Amino acid sequence: MLFSERSIWTMVHGIGLGGGALIGLAAALFYLYAARSSDGAAAPPGSGPLAGATVLSAVLLWLTVIVGTYVIFPPYRVTPPAGVTDLSEFPRALVLASPSTAWLHSFAMESKEHMPWIASMLTTAVAFVTVRYRSRVLQNSSLRSLSMALLAISFALVAFVSLMGMFVNKVAPLD
Amino acid sequence: MATTALSMTSREVNGSAMAALLSGGIGAFAMGAVVLLNEAGIFAAPTLYAPAGGVSGRTTLATIVWLMAWAVLHNRWRAREIAPGRVGAVTLILIALGVLGTFPPVWRLL
Repeated sequence: MLFSERSIWTMVHGIGLGGGALIGLAAALFYLYAARSSDGAAAPPGSGPLAGATVLSAVLLWLTVIVGTYVIFPPYRVTPPAGVTDLSEFPRALVLASPSTAWLHSFAMESKEHMPWIASMLTTAVAFVTVRYRSRVLQNSSLRSLSMALLAISFALVAFVSLMGMFVNKVAPLD
Repeated sequence: MATTALSMTSREVNGSAMAALLSGGIGAFAMGAVVLLNEAGIFAAPTLYAPAGGVSGRTTLATIVWLMAWAVLHNRWRAREIAPGRVGAVTLILIALGVLGTFPPVWRLL
């Protein structure tokens, strides 16, 4: 078989869900940024696309962290039985076996365990605001700025943990 | 927080928005605090799913704190106009502290 079930889940987690969330966050950020030029305009831009992008991002982020924590992480952290020398089926043990790759667990994977949950909470908060307040998010500068700040933080966190995930998967893939 | 009660509908005042955004900051801070307490050996959230280990309990606990904070703030602020400057500042500070708490190099300082 070309791809194992574990590697398919890894791709769904990292590329499908996480990648989709990054695109959605980028789109929402751009929409909010572009809306700054409409201050004082008689006909402000519609808020539907913004609400759609933030809600989609929030849903994708929650699916990403749930799949990551409960589907991807368990096989990653399995302890190899005593006497096993081929660690390719045990990614955490594999990266910890060498001082040059141990940081992939102690820094990269341990960052990935918690940070994305923060991004999910922040994006959900902004999604709620965009759905409930619609065009007022675009017209009210303080609401827009705070929403942009939270989405920018979410984007940075997701981009960072995505990069860490790529590093881990490069050295110790879940095959 | 400085608040002003106004006779407006809840969609016209910003209270619900401020509650959602501040609770996001509280959730982020809760995540960082739970992780730091765990790393310091002071408090370990119970493991809810053994194959995933302690992360299942830590993330669930922080998520519950976030949702509870959101529910309480939403209930208190939904019909009020809230000063956005102070709420925004507190939110960003809480997020910064929360992110720091989940950053492994910070744990090494304990």
